[in-house]
Amino acid sequence: MSAPAAPPDVHWRRSFRWDLDKTYLETEFDTFGHLLRTALQRADQKRAIAGAPALMREIRAAGAHRVCIISGSPRQMRRVLEQKLKLDGVEWDEFELKPNLSNLMRGRFRALRNQVGYKLPLLLDGRTRVPADCQEVLFGDDAEADAYIYSLFGDLLAGRVGVSTLEAILDAAEVYADQRKETLALVKQVAPGDVVQRIFIHLERRSPPVRFTPYGRRLVPIYNYFQAALVLFADGVLPPMSVLKVAADMVTSHGYSLASLGNSLQDLLRRGYAEVGAVTGLADAVEQYANLFDVFRPAKDIVEAFGRRLSALAENRPVLPPAPPAIDYLALLDDLHRTH
Amino acid sequence: MRLATPLQIAAGPAWYKKPVPVTVAVDAMGGEQAPDEIVRGVADLSLTAEGLSLVLVGDERQITDGLGRLPHNPERIEVRHAGTLPRTSVFAAVDLLAEGRADAVVSAGVIADGLAACREKLELIPGVKSPALAAVYPTALRRGRNEDPFSLLLDVGATLDPGAEELCAFAALGSAYARAISRNPRPTVALLSIDEDPARGLPAIVEAHARLRAMPGIEFKGNLEAVDIPQGSADVIVSGGFVGNVVVTLLDGVAELVVDLARYAQKQRLLWRVGTTMLTGGLAQLKHLTDWEQYGGAPLLGYRKLFLRAHPRSGAQAIENACRVAAKAVSADIPATFAELWQSRPALDKTA
Repeated sequence: MSAPAAPPDVHWRRSFRWDLDKTYLETEFDTFGHLLRTALQRADQKRAIAGAPALMREIRAAGAHRVCIISGSPRQMRRVLEQKLKLDGVEWDEFELKPNLSNLMRGRFRALRNQVGYKLPLLLDGRTRVPADCQEVLFGDDAEADAYIYSLFGDLLAGRVGVSTLEAILDAAEVYADQRKETLALVKQVAPGDVVQRIFIHLERRSPPVRFTPYGRRLVPIYNYFQAALVLFADGVLPPMSVLKVAADMVTSHGYSLASLGNSLQDLLRRGYAEVGAVTGLADAVEQYANLFDVFRPAKDIVEAFGRRLSALAENRPVLPPAPPAIDYLALLDDLHRTH
Repeated sequence: MRLATPLQIAAGPAWYKKPVPVTVAVDAMGGEQAPDEIVRGVADLSLTAEGLSLVLVGDERQITDGLGRLPHNPERIEVRHAGTLPRTSVFAAVDLLAEGRADAVVSAGVIADGLAACREKLELIPGVKSPALAAVYPTALRRGRNEDPFSLLLDVGATLDPGAEELCAFAALGSAYARAISRNPRPTVALLSIDEDPARGLPAIVEAHARLRAMPGIEFKGNLEAVDIPQGSADVIVSGGFVGNVVVTLLDGVAELVVDLARYAQKQRLLWRVGTTMLTGGLAQLKHLTDWEQYGGAPLLGYRKLFLRAHPRSGAQAIENACRVAAKAVSADIPATFAELWQSRPALDKTA
C-alpha cells in the first residue's frame, strides 16, 4: 500500500479498482522476450494506454473516490510501477502486486497464472476497509479473467452467488487451499450489498464484445477510455468536463482525432451503453467552455461532429436484449479455460 | 488538461496538422453475402488500415450485431443508418460522396442502382461527357510495378453507344486509373474492334483511333480483337458499353465453363481425375493470381468522386481489398491525372 492521498476519516463513496497491465499500461507479455523487456523497462519507458492516466486523475478529482490497483505484475516491480504512476500524476490508495517470486520458490506454479485465487480474495479484502455503501467501479482487460473475477466479486457481495457455488468455483479454478480458505472467510466477513456499479473491460485484444454478453449489462466492453469516461458521465459519476479533459488528453498526447472520438461515441450509443441525453449533455459542456477548446478545435466543430454521428443513427433506438437472469459461473469458467 | 505551448499554437492546432484520412463509405446491404460478409470485410480492415476512415451504410441494427461478433476497431468505423434495402443504402452512400463526407464508395450491390445514384448525385469531371464502368480481367501478362495480372476493360455497361470523343475520354480515364493502381507509369491502351486495321470498324472507333494515335500522353497500341484480351495485349482496353458488357459476360461464361469441364473430367475417368488432381497446386496458384477477390473491385470512372463496384458475390476479403483499392485511387487523384492527359486534346483535333 502506498501514497494515500486522502484523510483517513473520509467517507468513501466509490472504490475504483484498476488492473495495470493491458488495462492501464501498454504491456506485452505474450512471449518470453516481451516479459523480459517489460521487466527491464524504466518507468519513463513504460507507456500508459491513451486516456487512462487522465481518467484516473479525473476520477480522483471528482469526489470521495478511492483508487486501488491490483496488478498481476511481480512485487519486485513495485518501485518502477509506482514511479510510472507518479510520472503520470496519478494518486492511489492501495497498490497490490502478485507474490510471483514467493510462489515460484514454494513451487506454487499454478499461482503464477491463476488470477481467481489471487484477485478475488484481494477484492474482498478491500471491502473490509470501506463503508458498506461504498460503490465499486472496476477496470480490467480482455487478456485474462478480469471480466469473470469482477463479475463474481459483484455477485458474491450482492448475494447472487452462494457459498456452495463459490466452493465449486474455487475447486474448478484449482486455487490453492490457503487461497480457498481465505476467500471463503472473507465472504463471510464483508458486508453484503449490490455495490458493483460498473465493470469496464478494455478490449486490448480486440475481443468481439459479444463474448462478454453473458456477464450482463453492468459490464461494459470498451475500446478506449473516452468511452469509459462517457459511461461514467452517463452514470452520474463524472462531470461532463472530465469527459472532455480525457478526450483532450487523447487528442494532444495520443494522436486521436475528432473523427475517432466521434466514432467511439457512436459505438457506445449503438451498443446501448450511452443514451442520447449523454451526448447532448456533453455538447452543452463543450459550448459552455468553448474558449477552452478553441485552442484545439472550434467548439462548434466538436458539437457538430458528435451531433452528426448521433443523427446518422436510426431514430428509434433498437430494443436491447434483457440482461441474463443469472450468470452461470461454472460454465463460464470452462469457457475461460478453453480460451486462455 | 495539457495545454498547447505558444509554439504549438503558432504552428496550428494539433488536429489540423494530422494528415487527413481517406474516408471510404461501404454499402453494407448490397451484394449476395450482405450484410455479414461486407461488415466482416470492414471489421478486418479497421484493425490494420492506418489513415483510413470507414463508413458502413445500411441497417444499423444488423451492422451493430455483425460488428459485435467480430474483432474490429470502432474508432475507425462510423455507421450510417439507411434502412435494409440495398437501393436505399447505395443512394445514402453516394449521398455521402456528394456531400463531401466520403472520398469513395464501395458497393457490391446491383450496378444499375449504383449507376443511377451516381448519375443523380455526382458531378462529372470536366471534359467527360459520360461515365465508364470498368471491369478487371485476368491475363497471362503481369503489369506495372505491382505486377498486376489484370487488364482494365472499359466501358462495360454505363454508356452503351459512345462517340469518338467519349471513347478518347475513356482511354484517358483508364490510363489515369491504371497509373494509380498498378503503378504503371505508361499503361498501354487499345481499342476493342473487329480488326487491327484502323480503317475498319464502327465510325466512332475509326475516329477515336485517329485521335488516340495523336494523343501524346496515351501509350496507344491501336486496335485489338476480343481474342487478344486474355493474352494481356494491352493494359487498358476501351470499348462502348454495349460491346464491353457482351464481352465480359462472355468471358465470365467461358471461365465458368472451363471449371465445369474440369469437374466433369474429375467424375468421368480415373486417369483424368489423376491428371486434374496433379494440377491442383498449379491451378490453386493460378486462381490466387487471377482471383477477383484479390483485386477487390472495378471503378465507375468519370465522376469527380470514386465509386468502386465490388463483385456481387464479394466476401470479406474482396470488400477489404476493394476498400484498399478505393483509398489508393483517391490518394492518386485520378481527376487530376485525367486533366493532364486531356490537355493534349487540342493538338489532336488538328489531326482528326
